[in-house]
Amino acid sequence: MKTIQEVFRDWEAVIGLEVHTELTTLKTKMFCDCPIDFGAPPNTHTCPVCLGLPGALPVPNRAAIESIVLAGLATNCDIEKRSMFYRKTYMYPDMPKNFQTTQGPIAFCMRGGLDLTVSGQGSDERIDVEHAEDGSYTTHIGITRIHMEEDAGKMIHVGGTDGRIAGASYSLVDYNRAGTPLIELVTEPDLRTPEEARRFMQKLRQIFLAIGISDCSMEEGSMRCDGNISLRRRGSTGFGTKTELKNMNSFKALHDGLAYEICRQAEVLEQGGVIYQETRHFEPATKRTIVMRTKETAEDYRLFPEPDLAPYDLSDEFIERVRAKLPELPDAKSARYQDEFGLAAADAETLAGDPAWARFFEDAAAGSGHAVRIANLMINELAGQLKGGDIATCKVAPASLAELADLVDGDAISGKQAKEVLAEMLETGDGPAAIVERRGMKQVSDAGELEAIVEQLIADNPDKVEAYRNGKKGLTGFFVGQAMKATKGQGNPKVISQIVTRYLEG
Amino acid sequence: MMTALDPAKLSVADITSGFAAGEFSAREMVDAAFEVIEQRDKDIHAFLELTPELAYAKATELDEARAKGEPIGPLAAVPSGFKDNMNQVGTHTTCGSAMLESYVSPYDATCVANIIKAGGLPLGKLNMDEFAFGSSTETSYFGRTMNPWDLERVPGGSSGGSAAAVAGGLATITLGSDTGGSIRQPAAFCGVVGLKPTYGVVSRYGVVAFGSSLDQVGPFGKTVRDVASALNALSGRDPLDCTSQECTVDFTANLEEGVRGMKVGIIPSLTFAEGATPEVRQAVEEAARNLEGLGAELVEVDLPHVEASLAAYYVIGPAEAFSNLSRFDSIRYGHRAQGCADLVEQYERSRAEGFSTEARRRIMLGSYLLSADAYNTYYYPAQQVRTLITRDYVEAFKKVDVILLPTSPRTAFKFGEISDPTSMYLSDMFTVSINIAGNGGISLPTGPGVDTGLPTAVQLVGPQFGDDVILRAAAALETCYDIPRVAPMCARGGE
Amino acid sequence: MPLTEHDVRDIAAYTRIGLTSDELTQMTKDLNDIIETLAPITRYDLEGVPPTFHPIGDLSNVMREDEPRPGFDTETALSNTGSTQDGSFKIPPILSGGDA
Repeated sequence: MKTIQEVFRDWEAVIGLEVHTELTTLKTKMFCDCPIDFGAPPNTHTCPVCLGLPGALPVPNRAAIESIVLAGLATNCDIEKRSMFYRKTYMYPDMPKNFQTTQGPIAFCMRGGLDLTVSGQGSDERIDVEHAEDGSYTTHIGITRIHMEEDAGKMIHVGGTDGRIAGASYSLVDYNRAGTPLIELVTEPDLRTPEEARRFMQKLRQIFLAIGISDCSMEEGSMRCDGNISLRRRGSTGFGTKTELKNMNSFKALHDGLAYEICRQAEVLEQGGVIYQETRHFEPATKRTIVMRTKETAEDYRLFPEPDLAPYDLSDEFIERVRAKLPELPDAKSARYQDEFGLAAADAETLAGDPAWARFFEDAAAGSGHAVRIANLMINELAGQLKGGDIATCKVAPASLAELADLVDGDAISGKQAKEVLAEMLETGDGPAAIVERRGMKQVSDAGELEAIVEQLIADNPDKVEAYRNGKKGLTGFFVGQAMKATKGQGNPKVISQIVTRYLEG
Repeated sequence: MMTALDPAKLSVADITSGFAAGEFSAREMVDAAFEVIEQRDKDIHAFLELTPELAYAKATELDEARAKGEPIGPLAAVPSGFKDNMNQVGTHTTCGSAMLESYVSPYDATCVANIIKAGGLPLGKLNMDEFAFGSSTETSYFGRTMNPWDLERVPGGSSGGSAAAVAGGLATITLGSDTGGSIRQPAAFCGVVGLKPTYGVVSRYGVVAFGSSLDQVGPFGKTVRDVASALNALSGRDPLDCTSQECTVDFTANLEEGVRGMKVGIIPSLTFAEGATPEVRQAVEEAARNLEGLGAELVEVDLPHVEASLAAYYVIGPAEAFSNLSRFDSIRYGHRAQGCADLVEQYERSRAEGFSTEARRRIMLGSYLLSADAYNTYYYPAQQVRTLITRDYVEAFKKVDVILLPTSPRTAFKFGEISDPTSMYLSDMFTVSINIAGNGGISLPTGPGVDTGLPTAVQLVGPQFGDDVILRAAAALETCYDIPRVAPMCARGGE
Repeated sequence: MPLTEHDVRDIAAYTRIGLTSDELTQMTKDLNDIIETLAPITRYDLEGVPPTFHPIGDLSNVMREDEPRPGFDTETALSNTGSTQDGSFKIPPILSGGDA
């Protein structure tokens, strides 16, 4: 198979995403007041409604409707005041009613979109748009709709390989998850590269985290993404046959799955073959997609308006009350971090994208004057040392980090030392000043003291001084190193370097 | 002081006042009720399941409350029964189907809970056409129910057991459900009063759904006042049913007001349409004259689109039924075929074994009508026709207060007499348009028919949320008929 | 256009009701008879007539608060089937025979 860059010379990929997000920050299910509780033993959170008992009736969760409106506002959608729920019928064991209560042609949120800026790695996948000097480009991704629906139960298949359905001798069904509020966001087929899809998902996740409607975990399945992808010859405008991709459970899997499928489709088409409208399953181990089922004809779900639920006619007041809950979204926050705190775009984007990190940063940077250093320490040191832990509950307080930044910017300690101090702060919860004191780490910056040491070294190594003056400029390093040794590593390398250079230059 | 309690002879008011006055205990009432059931239900077969434990438990609770002077409820000590599509904890809720033969309700329907909370004594669950599909109770998996007026005839359906229980003196208030006439038509066949309230007045929560936009729960009783008392206990917004609405009306309040000055609509084109037998037409004519005699004014109205109501009903009903019955898949409850190699086999065999012919027909018809091919030919137009029918009623009620028409086109037929489905569907011709429009309708018995001697009845239909008006009109009309409300074979001492 | 037995077999498969071939033949006849009676629906000029999906007038926006309430315990949830294992509902293989 060709590489994706080779494929993209002749072919254009047309990609759309369907993103399902569970509203995990709510307390109850969509149509009943059973608690949402992941990890509970099977069938401990059920009732007549979410078990689909005969005679049960649904009652929608107001907070869920508010959440979907919030999601729509945050993604620039029109909020449809009038919409209904519909029944979508198919018999499957994880469906307690054997129909899903979802929406029809008109969803709560329609016609939205997000601007996507792709920079750095992967931005070169897209060849048909103009790139800025730094290689980045911006593209607009339309959002067709966001609609409200409910999640199905969970199944475990026993007896097959890897817990798959194939070859299983029986399955077990747990309805705890059945009825969990779910929003489905469908994009226009505006994405063109796997990298764009990955970035779009990241951006969407950041937005949903910022508005607090879900914990958005792809690994745990509270945010799931399916892709639809077809190819067409570069320059043509029609649509090829698309395949549906499922089981991409991480951003990387999304990228790799789409990349594989693009190359696979290109190979088939270039050999004169035909793309079938199929559902394909991404295999993370082999990074390929394999056929799950063939959709010769589209499934007829017998969609009709849900008679048990009164229609919606949302008031302006309802919508404005929700709009008032819109927080500063990641894009706006990132712009503000660059403006107000002088952060570089990449750092600003990283911090603004995660509510807990943004919160920590702002608390640390407030009135500190060392915002750039703080950001630097957070992204380059703290992130690595935390190893995925929760920044909000770690032992480092924002004020302590600000203090650390102050010490580094003031040359009291070196960057290398800061790393060690931070590690100890994380472990003990002590402040940086105390740790520096305790470990006697204070950087020696006193010019007089350092000058005396350098002077001695110059005197002790005349041949090297001679060699330097004859062109071996790299010998600065020797002297700096020796001076550092003499100060047991606590010498301020910048100051030492200046003194050394001065002496060497004569 | 009553020496021998005969619930068959007592009205709701008789019972509640007698109980409050200490004339008998609730336990004694339960004893009496089960004695009657023991004697007569072997011939009628109205009950599928008797619940003496639940009845005695409630009786004890009432007797204790009365002794302490605590509130006892407006239906205190009234023997009650519930159609077997209503969930009630501790009972089977079979819907008259093999599919739910062993299903035991883990929760209560709101309507059942409301009757019991009001003081009703829960005697048991009542027979019905399978999943409420039918007009004769012949399709019940557990055997048919006999019409107490003629044991060789059907009691009507689908709430045949509920109607027969009242007509047989086995219970004082029973609940049924009405999707296209399933309360009113059996009430007519059995010579009792049956009310389908306006859609949304009574909660549907816990009642196994057939046609979700058509179903309503309603009471059967011997008199209009009894039915009005029951409606008081049943009505009102239930937070568990999104389609239920606020209702604070006291339906017993103005029952005696009469009909002087009331405008009663009559529809010659409908009433005298082909399909209504001469004795039924005559009953309607007589009722019209009676109402006039009481001071009402007869006004001719027309419902031009009602002729399409059967067709619209047989699109909307089956479509919703197909969807509502999809949940019966053998996994969480319901009949499960044994020894299936895979899930599809378990689905197909369980559903084939659990559903009888009529149920299968409705499910498959409904599935077809909602399919991409048929949706725009049948389902969507049916909902548009629904708008037209609703508007017909709205227009008519600008001119009149109630409308008078037949309930059933004929009196009770013999078992097996109507065997093909489309003929059976005609039983609903005068009742379905009311469900489609969402209005309320009551069936009032009008005495033995001149040709068959079997109970005849007329129907009074009101505007949406005008159930108090139809009850008032029915109460007035009722005074014109001096007829037994319990079938002679069931009257003790041969009355 | 009347339904053929092939159509009805598809419907039976979709609704997961296993019919014998005799039943299929009878069902095809029955369904076609019933569908014929639905003809009045197609006779009206319905241009501009909005559908009524809910006979509840203006009732709209019915919702409830996001407050949890305990539901069934597991035993009750499983009480109406004999096919359970370790607190879950147990079902036969979803795919028929052999490996896919």
